[in-house]
Amino acid sequence: MTPLSFEQRYQDEWVELEMLLDRAIGRNTGQASLSFEPVSGARVAALYRRACEHLALARSRSYPAYMVDRLERLTASAHQLIYHRREFGLDRLKQLACADFPRAVRAHKRYVAVAAATFLLPTVIIGVLVYRRPELILSVVSSDTAASFQEMYSPTAASIGRTRSASTDWMMFGIYIRNNIGVAFQCFAGGLFGGLGSLFFLAYNGVFSGALAGYLTERGLSSTFFSFVVTHSAFELTAAVLSGAAGLRIGHALLAPGRFTRRHALVLATRDTAVIIYGVVGMLLVAAAIEAFWSSAPWLPHAVKYGVAAACWVSVLGYLTLQGRRAG
Amino acid sequence: MAETPEGILLELRPAGVCARFYAFMLDWFIRLALIYVVGMLAAFLQGIGLAFWIVFIFALEWFYPVIFELSPSGATPGKRAFGLKVVMDTGLPVTPAASVARNLLRVADFLPFLFGFASVSMLLRRDCKRLGDIAAATLVVHEPRAAKRITLDNVPPIPPMRALAPEDQAAVIALASRAPTLTEERLDELAALAASVSGDAGREGAEVTRRVLGVAQFVLGRRA
Repeated sequence: MTPLSFEQRYQDEWVELEMLLDRAIGRNTGQASLSFEPVSGARVAALYRRACEHLALARSRSYPAYMVDRLERLTASAHQLIYHRREFGLDRLKQLACADFPRAVRAHKRYVAVAAATFLLPTVIIGVLVYRRPELILSVVSSDTAASFQEMYSPTAASIGRTRSASTDWMMFGIYIRNNIGVAFQCFAGGLFGGLGSLFFLAYNGVFSGALAGYLTERGLSSTFFSFVVTHSAFELTAAVLSGAAGLRIGHALLAPGRFTRRHALVLATRDTAVIIYGVVGMLLVAAAIEAFWSSAPWLPHAVKYGVAAACWVSVLGYLTLQGRRAG
Repeated sequence: MAETPEGILLELRPAGVCARFYAFMLDWFIRLALIYVVGMLAAFLQGIGLAFWIVFIFALEWFYPVIFELSPSGATPGKRAFGLKVVMDTGLPVTPAASVARNLLRVADFLPFLFGFASVSMLLRRDCKRLGDIAAATLVVHEPRAAKRITLDNVPPIPPMRALAPEDQAAVIALASRAPTLTEERLDELAALAASVSGDAGREGAEVTRRVLGVAQFVLGRRA
């Protein structure tokens, strides 16, 4: 059989498959006859298998490049269509929130514990140190920054926790999202350096928050400060710790891949932790909303804020430890 | 190369540093333009507009590539302009998890400065992956371009003067498909190497070339 007679004999099948693929993908073929009848999956699969056979034949018989190329493109796009995994939709989102995310967190509880310790120890130690000797704050931030923090959290401020230049709640919502998710993503990506990056960013943020808390407490602004941070931190700090934990998992996979090759271990770890990152993004959106619209309102009595904060902390921790334990 | 369950090897051509750099720069300019345009609109709306603008910048920074990579084309506008595409190592469309991972890990690729680690990793690896690609098991490939049909309508087919092994046939056909892209002199040189198929061994020139291409016509299946 010559190349041309081969092409002539099977061309109709290829053209049909090309047409079906175009229609299934919804690509505009430029033809007016865009029919809306559904594409038959069985037909596509059958034609795809035939095209695979033809490609194998064409390759082994060294048929001309244009023909092999055409079959290659045909099989490649059919392959993409047939084996495409759909991971979108509300069902998937619900499954993620109700089961996958908390389960993934529990599956990584050792990493979460290490990440939490890396964050909390510096917070407490530096917090106590700065409270005892407030001048130490200057080794963490500059004096201007310290002054502006003091001003931000003074009880007479129109709204708490922000500089005067940023005027509206909405604006702060945007700024919070940008900063917080940025921090969380850094904690995650730092994992690629054997986990050292994650540890660094966690500890760095711990030192910073500790210093700030210690300094403001010493200045007698503790009630404004804590009533401000306590609610949204249920989501924000947890999310930062979780993304740090995801980074640590990646770092651990690189350092101690076990029975896998280093690269395969890394790929597996990244796939497992992606679920955690989805959850972290969701939590940070909630955190930013609370921070902008609830935490900063000066007219809310502290008792209400502390009550809501306690409810938030309990529900976040309860969600992560209990949700999705039952059922497959 | 990626193997499908049908036992077919799909050819994936990894994109090099240069093509990816151009695509990145184009994407960067597109994002800059978007930020500028939305910023102008936001300035009219004041408070809520500015907030939207900041959220928009943020979303663009982290999710611009994710959204485009998950679209049917599998590429950001910049990548599409340079014929690139993001796929999994298996040649399948990139999954949401992989797309998110490879784009978040760009932070690590950027270090220590100006995509230092990414460049080193891409230059050292045959498949030209940056760190994020390695972790997410993704690959940036050249979208296959359609090869032209062989057009030799004005050459009459000639039967070969000796028995041709399959490799010989393939070589002659390959020469014929390259013929339109070569200069005449180079085509003559190459055809002279294959002149034995038309019984012209040792000779060279436009007439020999014509006869060799005629053999190609014959092997392709055309008959006078």
